[in-house]
Amino acid sequence: MNPALLSAENISYRYPKQSEQALRGVDLSLSRGQVLGLLGPNGSGKSTLINVLIGLRTAQGGSIRQFGDRAPVIAWVPQEFAFYPQLTCRENLQFFVSMLDVSAAEGAARVEQVEQSCVLQEFAVKLARHCSGGVRRRLNIAIALIQQPDVLLLDEPTVGVDPQTRAFLLDHVRQLARRGVAILYATHYMEEVSAVCSQILLLDHGKVLASGDLQTLLRGSDGTAPFDSLEALFMHYTKRSLRD
Amino acid sequence: MGMLRQSVNIAAKEWRLLLRNPHGLAVLFLMPAAFILVMSFALKNTLTSAHVEFPRTGWVIEDGSPIAAQWAKEWTLRNGGELVASRALLQETLRARRVQAGVIVLPQWLDDQGKPRADHIELWLSNRIQPAAASRLRAELSYSVLQLQMKMAAAAAGPFASILLGSSSSAELLPASGALQIRYLYEIESGRKMTAVQQSVPAWLIFGMFFVVIPIAGVLIQERNDGTLTRMATFGVTPGAVLGGKLIAFMALNWIQLIFMLLVGRWLVPLLGGDTLYLDLPLGWFLLMVAATSAAAVGLALLIAAHTRSFDHAAALGGGANVVLGAIAGIMVPRPLMPAGMQTVSEWSPMGWALDGMQSVFLGTPDAAEIVPKASLLLVFAAVCLLLSWRPIRHQERAD
Repeated sequence: MNPALLSAENISYRYPKQSEQALRGVDLSLSRGQVLGLLGPNGSGKSTLINVLIGLRTAQGGSIRQFGDRAPVIAWVPQEFAFYPQLTCRENLQFFVSMLDVSAAEGAARVEQVEQSCVLQEFAVKLARHCSGGVRRRLNIAIALIQQPDVLLLDEPTVGVDPQTRAFLLDHVRQLARRGVAILYATHYMEEVSAVCSQILLLDHGKVLASGDLQTLLRGSDGTAPFDSLEALFMHYTKRSLRD
Repeated sequence: MGMLRQSVNIAAKEWRLLLRNPHGLAVLFLMPAAFILVMSFALKNTLTSAHVEFPRTGWVIEDGSPIAAQWAKEWTLRNGGELVASRALLQETLRARRVQAGVIVLPQWLDDQGKPRADHIELWLSNRIQPAAASRLRAELSYSVLQLQMKMAAAAAGPFASILLGSSSSAELLPASGALQIRYLYEIESGRKMTAVQQSVPAWLIFGMFFVVIPIAGVLIQERNDGTLTRMATFGVTPGAVLGGKLIAFMALNWIQLIFMLLVGRWLVPLLGGDTLYLDLPLGWFLLMVAATSAAAVGLALLIAAHTRSFDHAAALGGGANVVLGAIAGIMVPRPLMPAGMQTVSEWSPMGWALDGMQSVFLGTPDAAEIVPKASLLLVFAAVCLLLSWRPIRHQERAD
C-alpha cells in the first residue's frame, strides 16, 4: 500500500439552517496511485464531502490531514463546466495557470502539456462555448490538471458525454493513477467505478454505508450474500426509495 | 378557436412567469414610482411655484458717487446680500457659493446729466444659479435703476415733475434691453462663453460610468453560476484578488468611456453644429475626479452584483438605482432648477459628489477645497461598497 496523501477522520458537516447533518462521521484515506470510487444516491453528501476535502467548506467536526514532505496539491473537477465560455480553450488554460505561483515559462509548458494530454490542441483557439460537450468535459479536467495535482477530486466527470469521450476520460484516470495521483472519483455510473476504482466508499444520508476493497465488498460479508454486480451492492445498501 | 385557447393559455403562463419574477415587476412599478417622486420634487419650483427665491447677492461699488453707495445700501437692506470690497473678493465669494450672484457698479455709473446707466452695471452669476432666480434679479435691478432714474428726473423737474414725466414715454427711461452686462463665473474664469456641451458632458459622463454595473453583474453572476468563482478559490484566489481584478478592469473601461465621451463633445457635437467642448481642464484635479468617480461607480456595481442572484435582478436593480441616483444628483434636471431641500439631498448622493467635482473641473478653475472633499467622499463610498461586497464574494467562492 502506498503512503497516504490525504485523510479525513470522523468528518461531520451541517449546512446553515438545516437540522439534518449532511456528513456524519465520515472517514476516508487517499494514497498515491489509488482510485477511490465515491458512490451514493442524489443528496447523499458526495459533493459536500468533496467540498470539505478541497477546503471550500469547513467541517464542524473531525479533521482533514495531509501527509508528505510538502502539502499535497489538491485539484478539483466540478460537475459543472467551471470555465469561461467566451474564452478559447487555450485562453481558459492560460488564465487558470496564471492564478498559480509559477513562472511564465512553466505556465506555458503546463498549458502545452495538458492540451496534449487531454487532446485539446485542435480546439485550442476555439471558443469554449462553441465546443462540443466532450471537449468541454476534457477542458474541465485539463484546468484541474494544470495544477499538477497529487490528489484529484473528480465530481461526476462524465455526465453527458458520448461513449468515446467516456472511454478516453477513464483511460486518462487510469494513467493519472499509474503516475501516482490519488483520485477520488464520484459518480452514479457503476460501470465506471468497476472499470477504474480499486476501492469504494458508499455514502447515504451523509453516512458511510460501506467502504473498502471493491472485490471484497462484492463477495459479501457475514450478513450478506455475494453481489452479482456493483449495482446490486449499491441498491442493497441504499434501498429503492426515491431521493430528492 | 384552438388558436385562441392556446393564446389565452400562453397569456396565463406569461402572467405566472411575471409573478414569479419580482425583480422584473419591481422595475415596472417601483422605478417609475421612484422617478415620479424624484422628478416631482426636483421640478417643483420650476413648474408650479409662482414665488422665485431672491438669490443672495454680493455688491462691489466701483463708482465713487454717494448715490451708488446709497443705492446699494438700500438694496441690500431691502433684499439682503452683502457689500464686497473688490471684484477678486466677489469672485472668491461666488466660487465659495456664499453668494449666488454679484452686482458690480462700474465707475462713471452716472452719465453727464447725473442719471444712472444700466450698461455700467455688471451682473455676475454663479454657474449653478437657478435661471428663474437670475431672471428675477436681472428684472429687479433694471426696475430699480429705472426707479432711480425717475426719482432723479422728478427731483430735477421740481414742481413741474408730473407734467414732464407725463409727456415722456416709459421706454425712454427703461434701460436698454440687455444693457446689464451678464457674465457667468465660468466665463469670468475661463474667458469663454458658457455652453450646453460644457455643462452636459460631465453629467452624462458620470451617468455612463455608473452603468458599468451591467457588464460587472454579467461577469460576476456568470462566474458564480458556472462555478468559476468557486474554482478560482481552489486555485488559491482570494475574494480580495477577485474584487481587485474587477476594480482594475472596469476602472479601465470607465477611462475608455471617458475618452469616447470627450471625443464626442470635442468633435462630434461641433460637427453637427453644436458648441465645442473645451478640454483645457486642470489635469490633476480632472484625473483625481475621474479616478474617484470610477472607483465609486465600480464599487457600487460590485456591491449590486455581489448581492443579486441573477443577471435580470442585477440589471433591474442596478439600472433602476442608476436612473434614480442620476435624477437625484441633478443629471436629468439641473440642480439649480431644484428646490433648496432637494438640492441638499442632491449634494449628498454619490453621483451628486461626482457631479459637483466634475462640474468644478469642467466649468472653472477648482482648488483643493472644492475637489478634495468630493473625491474623498467618493473614495470612501467606493471602499464601503467593496467591503460590503467582500463577504458575499467570499461566501460565493467557498459555498459556505
